[in-house]
Amino acid sequence: RLDLVPEDNRLTAEAAFATEEGYEQAFAKLYAGLAVTGQNTTGQPDIVSDDEGASGYIRSIWKCQELPTDEAIIGWNDGGIRALNTQTWTAGNDFTRAAYNRTIFQVTLVNEFLRQTTPEKLDARGETDEFKAVVNGYRVEARFLRALAYYHAMDLFGNVPFVTEDDPVGSFLPPQIMRSDLFDFIESELLAIESEIPAPRSNAYGRADRAAVWMLLAKLYMNAEVYTGTARYSDVITYANQIIGSGYTIPQIPYQYSFLADNDRNGAEEEVIFTVPFDGLNIQSYAGTTFLVHAPVGGTMSPSEFGINGGWGGLRTTPTFVEQFPGEENSADQRALFFTSGQSKEIEDIGSFTNGYAVTKWKNVDVNGNQGNDPSGEHADIDFPMFRLADVYLMYAEAHLRGGGGDMSTALGFVNEIRERAYGDSSGNISASDLTLDFILDERSRELYWEGHRRTDLIRYGRFSTQGTWAWKGGVPQGTTTSAFRDLMPLPANDLGVNTNLQQNPGY
Amino acid sequence: TVSGTVTDGSNSMPLPGVNVIIKGTTTGTSTDFDGKYSLSVNNGDTLVFSFVGFVNQEIVYNGQSKIDVVLQEDAAQLDEIVLIGYGSTTKQDATGAVDKVSDEDFNRGAIVAPEQLLAGKSAGVRITNNGGAAGEGSQIQIRGISSLSANQSPLIVVDGLPLDQRGVQGVRNALNAINPADIEDFVVLKDASATAIYGSRASNGVILITTKKGKTNSPLEIEYDLKASVQEVTNTVDVLSADQYRNLANISPAFDTSLTGNANTDWQDEIYQRATGAIHNVTASKGYENFNFRVNLNHVSQQGTLRTDLYERNALNTAFVQRLLDNDLKLTLTAKGIIDEYSYADTGAIGAAVAFDPTQPIFDQNGNFTELGDNLAPRNPLSLLEDNQNNNRSKRLISNFNIDYKFWFLKDLRFNLNAGIDYAENDGKQFNIANPNNPNAFAFQNFYSGLNRNTSLDFYFNYKKDVESINTVVDLTAGHAYQEFYISSNQTLTGAGGALITNPEIINRNGLESYFARASFDHDDKYLLSLSYRADISSRFSPDNRTGYFPGASFGWKISNEDFMKDSFISNLKLRGGWGVTGNQEVGNNYAYLGVYTPAINDQVSFFNNGQFIPTLRPNGFDENLKWEETTNYNLALDFGLFNDRLTGSVDAYYNETKDLLSFVPVPAGSNLTDQILTNVGELTSRGIELNLNGKIIQSDNLNWDTNFNITFQDVEVENLSLTDNPDFSIPTGGISGGTGNTIQILRPGFDPSTFFVFRQVYDTDGNPIEGAYVDVNGDNQITTADRQAYKKATPDAFIGFTNNFSYKAFDLSFTFRGSFGNYVYNNVASSNGALATAINAPGAFQPNVNASYLYTGFANQQLFSDYYVRRADFVRLDNLSLGYQLPFENLKVRASLTGTNLFVITDYDGLDPEIANGIDNNFYPRARSVVFGLNLTF
Repeated sequence: RLDLVPEDNRLTAEAAFATEEGYEQAFAKLYAGLAVTGQNTTGQPDIVSDDEGASGYIRSIWKCQELPTDEAIIGWNDGGIRALNTQTWTAGNDFTRAAYNRTIFQVTLVNEFLRQTTPEKLDARGETDEFKAVVNGYRVEARFLRALAYYHAMDLFGNVPFVTEDDPVGSFLPPQIMRSDLFDFIESELLAIESEIPAPRSNAYGRADRAAVWMLLAKLYMNAEVYTGTARYSDVITYANQIIGSGYTIPQIPYQYSFLADNDRNGAEEEVIFTVPFDGLNIQSYAGTTFLVHAPVGGTMSPSEFGINGGWGGLRTTPTFVEQFPGEENSADQRALFFTSGQSKEIEDIGSFTNGYAVTKWKNVDVNGNQGNDPSGEHADIDFPMFRLADVYLMYAEAHLRGGGGDMSTALGFVNEIRERAYGDSSGNISASDLTLDFILDERSRELYWEGHRRTDLIRYGRFSTQGTWAWKGGVPQGTTTSAFRDLMPLPANDLGVNTNLQQNPGY
Repeated sequence: TVSGTVTDGSNSMPLPGVNVIIKGTTTGTSTDFDGKYSLSVNNGDTLVFSFVGFVNQEIVYNGQSKIDVVLQEDAAQLDEIVLIGYGSTTKQDATGAVDKVSDEDFNRGAIVAPEQLLAGKSAGVRITNNGGAAGEGSQIQIRGISSLSANQSPLIVVDGLPLDQRGVQGVRNALNAINPADIEDFVVLKDASATAIYGSRASNGVILITTKKGKTNSPLEIEYDLKASVQEVTNTVDVLSADQYRNLANISPAFDTSLTGNANTDWQDEIYQRATGAIHNVTASKGYENFNFRVNLNHVSQQGTLRTDLYERNALNTAFVQRLLDNDLKLTLTAKGIIDEYSYADTGAIGAAVAFDPTQPIFDQNGNFTELGDNLAPRNPLSLLEDNQNNNRSKRLISNFNIDYKFWFLKDLRFNLNAGIDYAENDGKQFNIANPNNPNAFAFQNFYSGLNRNTSLDFYFNYKKDVESINTVVDLTAGHAYQEFYISSNQTLTGAGGALITNPEIINRNGLESYFARASFDHDDKYLLSLSYRADISSRFSPDNRTGYFPGASFGWKISNEDFMKDSFISNLKLRGGWGVTGNQEVGNNYAYLGVYTPAINDQVSFFNNGQFIPTLRPNGFDENLKWEETTNYNLALDFGLFNDRLTGSVDAYYNETKDLLSFVPVPAGSNLTDQILTNVGELTSRGIELNLNGKIIQSDNLNWDTNFNITFQDVEVENLSLTDNPDFSIPTGGISGGTGNTIQILRPGFDPSTFFVFRQVYDTDGNPIEGAYVDVNGDNQITTADRQAYKKATPDAFIGFTNNFSYKAFDLSFTFRGSFGNYVYNNVASSNGALATAINAPGAFQPNVNASYLYTGFANQQLFSDYYVRRADFVRLDNLSLGYQLPFENLKVRASLTGTNLFVITDYDGLDPEIANGIDNNFYPRARSVVFGLNLTF
């Protein structure tokens, strides 16, 4: 009489995996973990310590990658968000914690799926061989998603708690893994699934394939010196070549098409290696591109041009970033997507939206300017291109210059292919002598700004903390350098408080 | 035949309902309304006159034609019966911290929420109403809090039926189902020796409510009672006037005068109204020899001070008592049928009125409500009230059937059975117009309904015997109880695409099975001992942890009954002490020990796979080892009565220690399926001293003056919060507005759970805050989150209640003050809107109004975490003042009264109201001042 189980649509684990739909839906949650924040648009959050929107995968990582750099500044007054802009965060920062909680959540979600779908369990439930093969495919992709989450966690926090499907669910104290060991784990996982995962461009849209595995390996090797102390640039060349040989192209359509509501079908998708799909009606959250399109609209900008019902008046950029473009806001480079009317280039007051140029890169409209699927203009359709070919091209060029092999003319060709899209013609092309490491860092910013890469790039170049200044870095208007320990984010104070196995990163 | 009149020795008034019986027989009668009786008797018969609370009198009949009797109050009997859960005792014999508050002590006024009758009346009991909304409920705390994440409200038992501590859906206050006019008394069980018999639900104290029943052998009495009230808001938030707002243009060039209008609108003036209300009660009661009944018909209609806010109640409350088998079997049936109807005003209008541009007119030139045309702009507060509707109707039945049987072969053995049900269905409809500031928005519809069913069956055996050989009264009880709670909810609402979507039904069921026993001993009317034990089995925990054991023990020493105390001015002196363990399992989540998978609520959070949107299934976090939260309590007290009990009182000192707190806390990242779960972590202690004083200051034929004063000192502290005993570990709490995800309070070992967590503001030589200048606590020359400090708290150090009742001939006058000291409030209205940036940095083409605190601070930007906004909120409030007059009719009792409630508040707090339960003042529905005319007719 007191052995009560849910009587509504909630399910015990046995009931959840009693149907094929149950497997598919539990698997769907693993991917959805990158896009949405819970079991409803709001109100059923996966993560409860943090504001639900701010705790989403893309938004939380994006803030850690962009706000401490010259690419973005935010006017809001939420908790520790200012500290991200000024590089004065502490272990108590709620936004770094959000990224930590979300990436580790994603890991535990995958672990649970792997525990529930072991060959033994599938046998015990009497699944058919055909269905077992389907589930094994799910398991392979699940391991990719776990490697991805660990990659983000490793990049931001270095030495994080480490759990796999062999650990239980409870309130035990997970051990801490060192960054270089985690590097090895991620690498071994990716290499292990490489042959099992569907070939490049053969999986369903939005799902990972072999090229996504290669891409993650390439990014791992690109920053290997930072993560492990040992450079692996030739491996970057290897995997970049494999991706490039898989048939992706830089479509010769306007650069902005990649960041519009129809970027899954306007041609921009030809470039995309791994994307996180959103839909204004069916994939909603305040954590993905809904954030990226609302937060930068304010001042005298017209929300309807962005396909939204109103701006949130938060995000702008710094003068340093504007100056990356020759001619600045009037640059011939079409990637210089600024809104300047009523805005000052300089930032005297972080809190005032009109200080700093606004950025119009993300728009919830299609190529014809029509608003996305959500008629209320609240939620965006824009898919988030996490990995795209331009990034691979630039990694190839950089790895080449850093001695990883490959050849200069190929590298130059890649960079000019990107710039031809940016300029609409060859007028922006560069010559081999222009192609320096410094140029690549700048070009990465021009090409990939506001896509969540900048912090990692600056750290690889040693210009995130002790070198390089821009407005408000270090908490002063003109900017100042900060200490090297800030190249790693702190482990959240509250996790250190509950897990004595963890040692804080130095400096915090 | 003999006849006569029985009167009350204390006031010479006739006593109706006195039993007059011929000794040794069952023949007899009882006195009528005028205290008169007549009975046929034989010479030599002995007449026994008996009445509860009076000393029996025996008179031998020797042919007298008239026997008039004066009954004297029995000092021992006077000592009233006090319920203690599955039984009763007397005030004199109670060994736990038990307080009874009866009809005559209740607060006066047009009271709709029954708990308000009790506010300020009992030491250790703090009742804070949640604001001025129509039909609003209260936070009730007995001896502070003993839990962080589990329920913090006391268990409320109505006529033997324990109510669901979570309330019922769709209503502002689930307790409103108990008609205040129907309540005989409250008994508050405060310490664990008293509450342990309620085991796992007793950690927050227990309130036993007894409703009125008919009286045996009483004539038909019909009573009509009316309370008509008028309410007004006494205070609104200080914001800039239209002129002050226009002046912002002189301060900042960024202030855009093209956005301002020409009107001078005080939006807060516009949203509030003079609210009227009426409470009607018609009651009929009658008692026969073996049967009595009471039937009450109740109608309440109460407007809120916020326009369009309305609460209505219609209820039929009945009680029937039937005695059978020579009074050995007593059957009691109580049944209440209640229809609660709410028109919920959109309380978003309160915040909108504070923020809306005061230079805008209410209506635009087209006669429509003025709107600012930006999706993030505040909505026109009047449009929110007039154009949005939300109505809910809740039908509820609360019924309890009680059998009390004395065994024919052993009259000292009694069997008691209670079968109860509390059943509620609600049905609500909400309709909001499309946001006029968003041309793409659609109207919002929400149809919601639900069912709450609480069924209870308990029985016990009681054996009570005066064992003369050892001069000890033995009282033994043992029983069993089972209770089940079933809750379901349905909702159909406008979804993302504008179409109506139906959410899956939510069902929650949980059960609680219990065994309990108590043994009480009274030796020589001097030494008291009581022991109790309860085992509770809860469906909320795994079979391994399902059973919890809750012992209680207490003693009493009636010092005044010792020989050496005879002839002292001390009329009563009792030392009592107790110890007990209670639990808490009211955690909201019924399946927290099970690994449960939750489907998505709708198709808005799907994954796109192969051209289809696939719904998701999420494994929830869980703790399979979840178990009881346990509070151990110690209580030591002295009850006293001086000068023939003209001055009585008690002092209680208590100490509570809660361990294995059911806390919703961060778990080590990676160890579970989410970042915070409900688990048993941490310790909390609370201690306090309670003093309760009652004085009969004047007692005379015409003039009487009674007074009650109670004061409570309390201290609550978090001892530990994590599995690792880390003293520096803390958890942010207390979400505030003015940005997303911000919090202002902290749970930290060594501090009160409501402690604020702030930057320490630096002031200039004139005492004005310097914007952004805070104390650099860690000395790193930067102001970072590491410089935030735990500072002050929302919980008071002390609170008081002070009541006086005067009567002079047919007039009576009473008043009650309540006060609170050492409590602080964070003024979130000022902190979120009290900067220039509020107006000029809005995220769009609109400029919200600025809180008037800006005139003092001059802050350009929000300083949300400055302790400037943590304000001292001590207060003393005149809760009510009531004047009554008994009209001099012969056969009709008429009482007219005039009552004012919430007449004034003495406080330094400069926000809206210092009495904010959680200490965060934001969008508070203001408490109203009311004037109530009352009329009571009895015939």
